Amino acid sequence: MTWIACELHTHTLHSDGRQTLRELAEGAAKLGFGAIALTDHNTMSGLAGKADIEREFGLTIIPGMEWTTFYGHMVTIGLSEFADWRQAGRSDIDRGIAEVHRLGGIAGLAHPFRIGSPACTGCFWEYEVGDWNAVDYVEVWSGTFPSIKTDNRRAFGLWTDKLNEGYRIAATSGRDWHAQEETDEPVSVTYLEIEDEGGESGAASAASPDSGAAEPSRFGAETQPEEVGRGASSAAALAETRLIEALRQGRVSVTIGPLLTMALESGGELWSVGSSVPARVSARAASAAPTSDVPASVGSQGEEAADSVEAAAIRVKLSLDFSVRRGLWTLDDQVFKLKLHSNLGEELSLDAPFKAARPEEVGVGAAESRKALLERGALPAAPGVGTAEEPLRLDLEAELPTPAADSPRSWLRAELWGTARGAYTRIAFTNAVYFEHEEGKNRL
Amino acid sequence: MELLDIQGSVTPEESRTHIRVPLELHEGCGRLNVRFEYAPKNLEDRERALELLKESYDLYILPEQREQAVARADRHLPLKNLITLSFDGPDGYRGACHRHDEVQELFLASGEASPGLMPGRLEAGEWNVTLSLHCIVTATCEYRLRAWTSEREESA
Repeated sequence: MTWIACELHTHTLHSDGRQTLRELAEGAAKLGFGAIALTDHNTMSGLAGKADIEREFGLTIIPGMEWTTFYGHMVTIGLSEFADWRQAGRSDIDRGIAEVHRLGGIAGLAHPFRIGSPACTGCFWEYEVGDWNAVDYVEVWSGTFPSIKTDNRRAFGLWTDKLNEGYRIAATSGRDWHAQEETDEPVSVTYLEIEDEGGESGAASAASPDSGAAEPSRFGAETQPEEVGRGASSAAALAETRLIEALRQGRVSVTIGPLLTMALESGGELWSVGSSVPARVSARAASAAPTSDVPASVGSQGEEAADSVEAAAIRVKLSLDFSVRRGLWTLDDQVFKLKLHSNLGEELSLDAPFKAARPEEVGVGAAESRKALLERGALPAAPGVGTAEEPLRLDLEAELPTPAADSPRSWLRAELWGTARGAYTRIAFTNAVYFEHEEGKNRL
Repeated sequence: MELLDIQGSVTPEESRTHIRVPLELHEGCGRLNVRFEYAPKNLEDRERALELLKESYDLYILPEQREQAVARADRHLPLKNLITLSFDGPDGYRGACHRHDEVQELFLASGEASPGLMPGRLEAGEWNVTLSLHCIVTATCEYRLRAWTSEREESA
């Protein structure tokens, strides 16, 4: 499995953008993206010349279109054919989404809380969605330095509400990129985790569930997104399919800096974002957990009990990869907070100290210039702290608290909080891992 | 050959509606040309604009932030009319021109087309130009749509 840096919301002069597809692709490649989705307003004509441009800049261009309607903007990607945006009335967007799905695409709410008409026509999402299960994703971060903006906080809240209601919806960022203009603001990246190609996939999938307990190898030193993007252009259609599949399944992590990944582990099995922890695992963890009602036992029985508790517990493995898009983002030295959020609220908060490159280390060479250096600090577990030779990572592990029996956990995501440009805000977040529960025990 | 030259007037009540204009394309057409214009583009009446914005803030902005939004309303001025065009041929959708230009000179031909439109065979039969009235903020907005064909692909 490999994480690809994606920009999923872009425009060219085929709608109201001020750039050609070639200029857009060149700018995206310079920013370290391995894939972009072209989502011009109501047209797909901008895709002309796509194959040559993909080859030239070594990135994948996912076909798409932003439904730019009277009651909301909806980004649709992964379809090769046009789905008609003009028929959608305020209460029948479900039909439009079904049509997008029929044509092989997926659909997401674009900037759902941006001000609507007349300031920005149709920009505010006013459709009455009948079935939220049909919605593939919500663009919860729109624009540059998105996390500090009120509209995006509302969108993030909408996503959380829908997760709490039991829907499985992915969350992305989208710059809504209209022109090649310099920006001082942090650029957000949506990472999609794709299956590796052909021969590699066997090895990767064999490695994850079995050896995963020993080490989180699936997030190890894999190919850099940039390199994957370059290789993928020869098999553009395949790359597109895998990216769409990743987003459809919620294998998504969003950031303005390091790549944040999360996997849950119990009894030697691993679940990464987008997947579901089966009911038997949640039940096992719940039943094995020591409760205040039961006094701690002593002697050999006690040891056995401790062992089974250990085996049944769900551990969360968090990883921060600071080597991604090296030199293309900056954050000040600080102690980040890594937080676990679920339908039960904030469940855990861990310290993650970060030390960026010293000025004297900059300018040695492109590859060396922005090497972030990490200090171990007072971490519960930090086996993966990077050195100059290996990718810079920080690995953290913790045991998930066991929820009360009457309020089970239905989803969990990781969030990285810290200071960016003077504001304390979300730096990154993963999509959710879901928890299944036996019939009748599920809150939902 | 001239296909049509129509004029119309729309009002704010017609915002969020489409006007579908049929066109009959003859055999052997090399290029479909369209000129579309509408005016006014901007709502110059500042008081009316602020009134419209205030109404929209009540809909779209959280109560605790409305006052601040009103104080910064200038960032959303001038308010603009927006009408966009999209095209359908007998074989299906032929693209849209979603942009703010109030004068648009467009064409479709087999090898080339205006940005937003899809080049390809100009099939004879019924075509449609759809005017999408995303937003009309002025009391009235006048439009004119002209379409003509040429035998050759190149512009005359």
